[in-house]
Amino acid sequence: MPGWFSRLTLTQKLAAAALALGAVALFASPYPGTKVTLDAKELALIVGTEADHVEATELAAWIIESRADYRLIDLRTRAEFEQYHIPTAVNIPMNVLTEAGLGRQEKLVLYSEGGIHAAQAWMLLRAQGYRSAYMLKGGLDEWKDQVVFPVFADNAGPDERARDERRRSISAFFGGQPRSAAAVAAGSDALPGVAAPVTPAMPKVAAPSTPSGTAKPPAKKKKEGC
Amino acid sequence: MAMMAPFLKYGTFGEETSLVLAFLIGIGFGFFLERAGFGSARKLVSQFYLNDLAVFKVMFTAIVTAMLGVTYLGWIGWLDLSLVYLVPTYLLPQVVGGLILGVGFVVGGYCPGTSVAATATGRIDGLVYVLGIFAGMFAFAELYPWLKGFYLSGSGEALTLPGTFGLPYGVVVFAVVLMAVGGFYGAGLLEKKFAATGE
Repeated sequence: MPGWFSRLTLTQKLAAAALALGAVALFASPYPGTKVTLDAKELALIVGTEADHVEATELAAWIIESRADYRLIDLRTRAEFEQYHIPTAVNIPMNVLTEAGLGRQEKLVLYSEGGIHAAQAWMLLRAQGYRSAYMLKGGLDEWKDQVVFPVFADNAGPDERARDERRRSISAFFGGQPRSAAAVAAGSDALPGVAAPVTPAMPKVAAPSTPSGTAKPPAKKKKEGC
Repeated sequence: MAMMAPFLKYGTFGEETSLVLAFLIGIGFGFFLERAGFGSARKLVSQFYLNDLAVFKVMFTAIVTAMLGVTYLGWIGWLDLSLVYLVPTYLLPQVVGGLILGVGFVVGGYCPGTSVAATATGRIDGLVYVLGIFAGMFAFAELYPWLKGFYLSGSGEALTLPGTFGLPYGVVVFAVVLMAVGGFYGAGLLEKKFAATGE
């Protein structure tokens, strides 16, 4: 220790230490910023074991049961959200996702129109240490096809019929209607056939969910039915 | 990644544990206020006679210590500063609130924290001050409907020095350290100058 330093009083030494730390801090930034790190092995494991997503039918069951241990996040734009969203969802567009004050341990279910934006957002959140982020598999498209407008085979066996009955009631709960496979096939092309009933009917679904904010009131009614 | 702060936001412990910890930290805060002599109104108001600037020094030291701690913990990645709650800024109401607190400090001889420390050691003036705080809180709550417009006037954003001045975080840290050290030096000079004429 140089002589001049040992001649300083304790207060002066502390002041010198603070100055030194402050000078080094010139190059510091305590905010993690936009750079993130990824544990490639961990991510690969999660994706490989399919522990990264929730199925549409699974989510439908959660909503009907009024489960509250997760947060459903709609990543689309405000306008798209207002036109239709899955009941109980909150709208947090991609660009403000990491500033939305979500808990690192909170169970988050992300969805977008297809699956791409949700997957990107999922990666982003995982990289920033959100441990319990999940995507809705297939996004809103699969939600429509599996839950709201499910397709049934016309020549279903008894086992399938029982399962179809449950799917029918789930579909009705979310304001949709089942379609028969024959009707879908009757359309000139499978894809427009799917799109046709979906587009005009969707606002109808939004109507009951928007004023109440959540799907809780209808959820209770339906539970008795199930 | 094992232990990341803020602990509550990362779920290291729950709401109840955080209350217990807040209680313990509060006890520690009170203890050190008392040990610094801040349980006495005499010590506190000598700040305003400029013959003992211990309050200024202690508070500024606390700011610098916490600031350096947060900066370095964030830098090495043990603390996610973006999750630390920032009080929303309502500039004008907060300036007025600060002035009211300052007047109360000069008149009563305490600030809210030190008045509780003084009460804990059995000082009557501290107790009266605490009762005054509660009376003020009650009056404020009753008048809130009329005050609300002013109380919430302003942007309500959480302003920070780096954000407001567009400076890198580290530059602000260094500037605040310089200000503190300069302030301590200036405080020493003032104390010498007013020591004789203080009483």
